[in-house]
Amino acid sequence: MVFVEINVQSLDSFNRALEENKGKAIFVYFTGTKDAKGLSWCPDCVKAEPIVRAELSKLPEGSIFIYCQTGDKSCWKDPNNVFRKSFKLSSIPTLLKYGTPQKLVEEELLNSELVQMLFTED
Amino acid sequence: MRGWGRGRCSVLNGLPEIIPTFNSFLLQFEGKYDYDLLVIGGGSGGLACSKEAAQLGRKVAVLDYVEPSPKGTRWGLGGTCVNVGCIPKKLMHQAALLGTAVKDATKYGWDIPSPVRHDWATMAQAIQNHVKSLNWGHRVQLQDKKVTYLNLKGSFVDNHTIQGVSKTGKKTVLTAENIVIATGGRPKYPPQVPGAELGISSDDIFWFKDSPGKTLVVGGSYVGLECAGFLTGIGLNTSLMVRSIPLRGFDQQMAQLVTDHMVSHGTRLLWKCVPRSVERETSGRLHVTWSDQQSGRVEGDTFDTVMWAVGRTAETKELSLERAGVPVNPKTGKIIVGAGEESSVPNIYAIGDVTEGRPELTPTAIRAGKLLARRLCGQVTELMDYDKVPTTVFTPLEYGCVGLSEEKAVSSFGQDNIEVYHAYYKPLEFSVTERGANQCYIKMLCLREGDQRILGLHFIGPNAGEVIQGFALAIKCEATYSQLVATVGIHPTCAEDVNKLNITKRSRLDPTVTGC
Ligand SMILES: Cc1cc2nc3c(=O)[nH]c(=O)nc-3n(C[C@H](O)[C@H](O)[C@H](O)COP(=O)(O)OP(=O)(O)OC[C@H]3O[C@@H](n4cnc5c(N)ncnc54)[C@H](O)[C@@H]3O)c2cc1C
Repeated sequence: MVFVEINVQSLDSFNRALEENKGKAIFVYFTGTKDAKGLSWCPDCVKAEPIVRAELSKLPEGSIFIYCQTGDKSCWKDPNNVFRKSFKLSSIPTLLKYGTPQKLVEEELLNSELVQMLFTED
Repeated sequence: MRGWGRGRCSVLNGLPEIIPTFNSFLLQFEGKYDYDLLVIGGGSGGLACSKEAAQLGRKVAVLDYVEPSPKGTRWGLGGTCVNVGCIPKKLMHQAALLGTAVKDATKYGWDIPSPVRHDWATMAQAIQNHVKSLNWGHRVQLQDKKVTYLNLKGSFVDNHTIQGVSKTGKKTVLTAENIVIATGGRPKYPPQVPGAELGISSDDIFWFKDSPGKTLVVGGSYVGLECAGFLTGIGLNTSLMVRSIPLRGFDQQMAQLVTDHMVSHGTRLLWKCVPRSVERETSGRLHVTWSDQQSGRVEGDTFDTVMWAVGRTAETKELSLERAGVPVNPKTGKIIVGAGEESSVPNIYAIGDVTEGRPELTPTAIRAGKLLARRLCGQVTELMDYDKVPTTVFTPLEYGCVGLSEEKAVSSFGQDNIEVYHAYYKPLEFSVTERGANQCYIKMLCLREGDQRILGLHFIGPNAGEVIQGFALAIKCEATYSQLVATVGIHPTCAEDVNKLNITKRSRLDPTVTGC
């Protein structure tokens, strides 16, 4: 593995992941929280995830992939959702390169070429 | 791809087709070009053209390569407008307008600590981030619409073959049935001023991380006026040097009012002055000398930044156009095109700032690019209509216009055959703030006969662009003065003063609007 995946579900652990990986290329995938059975309430996230995962091997050497579960349905729909507010998210799934304007949302994540572009270009 | 050559029908010129090289001849014979369409330049025109053609099912590639400015400034995909033109310019203009609004606000009861200070770094960072998000947006769109994006600098090998060179010097050869040149233009440096290289251009100012400080802007173009305007507006000591006339090509009465306002707004105007030299002082600041052509004296001053706005050159020199046989106007370096944007080589077209005689504006480049793509794909025969294109100069007091200038109307129709309606008006908002409205002025040129068809409309005042856009539709539809005055205004607005125009210049009555 050339990259490290970190799973987070709270802003605290998110910030800790950022702090611990300062200076590295950080990619973040915001998605709906999965239930105990590992099922997601968010159909668009379910569609996008395998496409994003299939491109992970293209991540740059030494980069960080943060897999961030933003909450269950009611939690995400709340306009005060911490991730929504902290990262100006308008929808999930969202994939972004941290600290840059490079960002893909919803159907864009069904296009593996776009995902690859986000992972590979500066 | 067959059937793609239909656009050729629109090529109406008697010039002989150049003989293609053997290589491209063979390719043509086999119908095996790499691409149906190759666009050189990913700016306003090139992106629009390539996306449209790809959506119509063609195999398209766009080459975009940004040569860093002499100061080393570089930027991403999207061309002049996005990176070093319309977008950052309008946002810096907005920053300046906010400064004025903050000052006005105290009169409206807001308690604002004074003096208010502007932080360049904060503004620049926010604007640059927005521009970077637009760069990314363009990348996503190209990918989405299946246009191949190549970060290569293109030049012609022959009329179907382009050589692309990467940043690292790697060469790629690409062939295409049709080629569109959309390489735009870049700022000029004055050739005969020693030390000119110490100055910057509009390619740099928008990417400054720190304030340019006390600045001299040289040039009476709209770029010069706009930049001097927003620099003054954010509180910098700013001088603007104009050699002959401001806003060449625009209505000169309006141009005069615009610069009058700039003076009252705090820009120091150095009229009829020509720069002689720029030298770096030991302090690092720049000492500039110039001759004042009116007094005949040589003057000088010291600045932190000198910005040249002395015109733009078309980006054609490095395209090896001669290898494809595409002629340019030797004076301007611009590509000569016909009504269908065709060059004299049947499969080579050009759009946007690189073309001779076209307005240098983003919306015209975009529309021309889209229409060209549709014609090339055999969808339409419609040509780009360059008549009555509206535009706005974003000086502190904005100036918007559409149609003919008064000079042009007089020379085309004769003084006796045109009626000029005009008004000095006062925006309601200015009354509370006691802001001077001496340059808020509207002028409309009409034919004198009958219903008086409108030939041109000129508006100086707040939000001029927003005001002119709607009237541009009316004027494009051949609206008349009678129809205009029959339209009810929206009260209280500045635009309603256009509908209320009733004083003619011929009458010599006072054009100052009074009352409600
Ligand atoms: C300061 C400023 C303010 C402006 N404000 C406005 C405004 O408010 N409204 C408005 O409508 N217009 C405005 N303009 C004009 C507008 O930006 C241009 O008219 C428009 O960008 C022209 O588009 P284009 O496609 O012809 O070229 P450009 O947008 O210039 O794009 C050309 C692209 O081609 C690339 N290129 C050049 N040579 C090569 C090569 N050999 N190989 C590969 N790539 C190459 C360039 O790097 C560039 O990215 C402004 C311009 C300036 C400078």
